Amino acid sequence: MAGRTPSQTIGPYYRFGLRWTDGARIAFNEKGRAIVLAGRIFDGAGQPVDDAIIETWQLGPSGTPPTGAAGSSNPFGFGRADTEKNGAFRFETLMPGGPIPCIDVTIFSRGLLKALRTRVYLAPESLARTDPLIASIAGSERVKTLVATPAGPDEYRWDVRLQGEGETVFFEF
Amino acid sequence: MNDTTTATPFDPPYAFDEYRSTQRRAPKQPLVALPAHALDIPGPLVPAGFIRSGDNDLTIRGKSAPLGERMFLAGRLLDADGRPVRRSLVEIWQANASGRYHHPGDQHDAPLDPNFDGVGRTMTDDDGCYNFITIKPGSYPWFNHPFAWRPQHIHFSLLGNAPVQRLITQMYFPGDPLLDIDPIYNSVPDPEARKRMICRLDLRTGKENYALGYRFDIVLAGAKSTPLGI
Repeated sequence: MAGRTPSQTIGPYYRFGLRWTDGARIAFNEKGRAIVLAGRIFDGAGQPVDDAIIETWQLGPSGTPPTGAAGSSNPFGFGRADTEKNGAFRFETLMPGGPIPCIDVTIFSRGLLKALRTRVYLAPESLARTDPLIASIAGSERVKTLVATPAGPDEYRWDVRLQGEGETVFFEF
Repeated sequence: MNDTTTATPFDPPYAFDEYRSTQRRAPKQPLVALPAHALDIPGPLVPAGFIRSGDNDLTIRGKSAPLGERMFLAGRLLDADGRPVRRSLVEIWQANASGRYHHPGDQHDAPLDPNFDGVGRTMTDDDGCYNFITIKPGSYPWFNHPFAWRPQHIHFSLLGNAPVQRLITQMYFPGDPLLDIDPIYNSVPDPEARKRMICRLDLRTGKENYALGYRFDIVLAGAKSTPLGI
């Protein structure tokens, strides 16, 4: 076993380093229902986090992990966006398949010495509670923090609170 | 137990008061344990065409060479079981030789270098090896505490070949006196783990009369879902 390299913060000056062309328009090698996942990130004082990177990874519309990669495209099924002045992010993607539609989310920012990992459900809360991944909190009020709200026929709204009231559920890894 | 500190001794805790920005951003509720191997799924897969020729040479972006001490930077990406992490994306960003980022948010009163944007990316080869050509970054002040200056560092982003391997870290330089007083470096509780973020001088990685060489090997989590390191 080799000793692992520790995590460090991305700091405030990553934008040129990590920004991808069309990073928030997620590519797939199959067709599906186009949707938008949009929201904002807030800190423990309720202030918008305007210097975060949010990454997403999800199943394709048919319910299988996107494995292909073509030409010079971004990796299929993977999104990366940096937040705006008001803490906002917005992904254009396809509705994930599988029994409980969801998107895995990783957040990096100044002040985070290690990434935060979470999952957003594009499904009713009752269905989200049946996901074995969150079995240990299936009966908790906090599951609500992982459920996106429909905000139109093809748009979902999901805010993230890093700390304090309504703090989003994050995973240990 | 309200453990937001994380059980992994090689990683820093989320809450680390000496680094002030953690105070309003570190989660305070207990983290939820994931089932074993939940993040051990192959992907995402970055196509080779994502990288263009020259993306790993930060010294050829302008009309002439950037200011600063040219350096060759090479290393190997491994997993915790010692296997190479192959054909995997490595991204770096850094300040210029004066300690200024090519970034609108950086208002440090040091000159920008029109010939240096401080951004590079590459893919590891079939042995997990990567290399960059760049210049040694400068130190710069930040507002964390009086006389706070960051040690010289290069930011590294590793996508790995499974989500469990995703890592963002910083590479430091041997002998930097600022390491002792840097809260970000010292947020890592284990002193031995801290040292794994320091590159080493390796003359053979350099080029005679042209550039010094440094080596920085990086160890990610083991991934059972990628037995071939891909």
